[in-house]
Amino acid sequence: MLIAENVRKVYRVKEKKGWFRQQWTEVEAVADLSFRMVPGKIIGLLGINGAGKTTTIKMCSTLLTPTSGTITVDGYDAVKDDRFVKAKVNMIAGGERMLYWRLTGRENLQYFGSLYGLQGQALRDRIDSLLLQVGLYEAANTPVERYSKGMKQRLQIARGLINDPHYLFLDEPTLGLDAPIARQLRKHVSELASQHGKAILLTSHYIHEVEELCDEVYIIDKGRLVAHDTPEHLTKSLHLDTALQVVIPSLSDSLDYDLRQLALDYGGSREIAETDEQTWEVTLRGKTDMTTPLLSLLAAHQSPVLRLSTQQPSLEDVILHMADRRGA
Amino acid sequence: MKQLGSLLLAEIIKEHRHSFHSKMIYFSLLVWPVINFVTAYYSFAPFRMGADSPLARFISYEQLPLFLLTGYLGYIFYWCLVQSSWQMSFERQAGTMEMIFISPVNRFAFLYGRSLSSLIEGVWLFFCFALLALFFVDGIQLSGWWAPPLAFLILLVSAIVWGGFLCVLFLFSRDASFLYTVLDEPMLIFSGVRLPPMAFPVWAKVISFCFPLTYALQLIRELLMEGASLQAMLPSMGLLAAVLLVLVTATVVLLRQAEKHMKKTGNMVMY
Repeated sequence: MLIAENVRKVYRVKEKKGWFRQQWTEVEAVADLSFRMVPGKIIGLLGINGAGKTTTIKMCSTLLTPTSGTITVDGYDAVKDDRFVKAKVNMIAGGERMLYWRLTGRENLQYFGSLYGLQGQALRDRIDSLLLQVGLYEAANTPVERYSKGMKQRLQIARGLINDPHYLFLDEPTLGLDAPIARQLRKHVSELASQHGKAILLTSHYIHEVEELCDEVYIIDKGRLVAHDTPEHLTKSLHLDTALQVVIPSLSDSLDYDLRQLALDYGGSREIAETDEQTWEVTLRGKTDMTTPLLSLLAAHQSPVLRLSTQQPSLEDVILHMADRRGA
Repeated sequence: MKQLGSLLLAEIIKEHRHSFHSKMIYFSLLVWPVINFVTAYYSFAPFRMGADSPLARFISYEQLPLFLLTGYLGYIFYWCLVQSSWQMSFERQAGTMEMIFISPVNRFAFLYGRSLSSLIEGVWLFFCFALLALFFVDGIQLSGWWAPPLAFLILLVSAIVWGGFLCVLFLFSRDASFLYTVLDEPMLIFSGVRLPPMAFPVWAKVISFCFPLTYALQLIRELLMEGASLQAMLPSMGLLAAVLLVLVTATVVLLRQAEKHMKKTGNMVMY
């Protein structure tokens, strides 16, 4: 198990004040953060830009030293026993860096495998198996510079798995990928946890990705933990509004008045917009389900319903809500 | 040991594919030093090189080609490693440096492996040229068959140690490329590649003794030009060994500091 306890990271940042003067300021990237990674589970780290997600990943993967607090991996301290920890962790980042573009996919894996002490037949077998896993076996001997963005990302995954890590850190792994490739990668990540027992920490700007993959979510803001729960509990616990949307062909003044009254009665709000098809889209937001009274009201006004849909609050709403609340 | 071999092989393949991907690069690696060598030789031509010339106290005119050949051979060995260390900034930009340091690889194996692979790729062609040229130049004096292989070994080991030290310096900062300017041309001027350091004024001698190449060239010339016996070379060998020991110690200390610094500041990804 990876246990991070009260981890804090402070950077000293130099600010230029003219030609010769400079001033050092301290920036707290991560503050008092605690979390756990358990084999077979995927945890998500969410937050707006500059929340401290990448810094957290780099501390867990031994690339950065925490200013205070401890990170232990299967009992080994990530700072004092970093050689042991390094053998158990790996990181995959989104984008096209962290690979040697002039080398082929196979040569890249050979190089990175040798950094972990893999050699000979064992290394060759591992490379073949990973290339098959990520669907790059046919392109193994093609230089990476000729790979598409999706192929490079899949090679990144193979590279991140070369040492068969117990703990895997994924920093925006689907950044800039086309939807079908991103979906394929999500499936692969899910299998890594469920079938191969990897403990995975995922950061992503795509909230639906976190909702789909993560067993637990940690929401951080300016380096501080502001919420931690399962994605479902997080959306429920904040009692965010459910949006009920109905499309009707016409809107009389009396119906408009009754809709506003209905929303007020249930402690919610009402929004009305005219669509391009000359119909009206009514949205009722509230914590209580207003479907039945809304349908009764429309029946009373003899208004046909062209479309009806309910939108439950998403994790994205939770993040935006928290960002608004903390910004206020 | 087997693991080290595997790492070295992977490092050689990486360097080969990454930095020596075109045959034209090998062509330039031969032509450039040959042109330098020929230019240096003919630069002396307009000057008086007789027995009463100022340089005659240090080298004879007959031995000038051999002097320059050994000088340039040594310089190419060391120059390759200045170039290779400079390439560390590429690793920083490409993000591959993070992937190296996230792994448990022995840092010294990585540094010296990198140096060795750059060296092999960078010098083999000029080395072959120098070896062939040795048959055609005057003034070779050997005290045994072992002298040329020993000279090669001295160059190889000292250059690798130098390369490891330079790599560490480039680990500290993305702005370390100024070292390239500081180390490249002064090394050519002051290390005794074209002129014997003993012919320099005192201030230049002081600079020349800051470069390990000076000590290595001294030994190579004792071996190939003076036919010195092993016993006679002991003081020079001791001096080079001491210099290399200082470099290795500095590499060990600086590597620890550099990694600590990178982990503290996060500058591993800054470029």
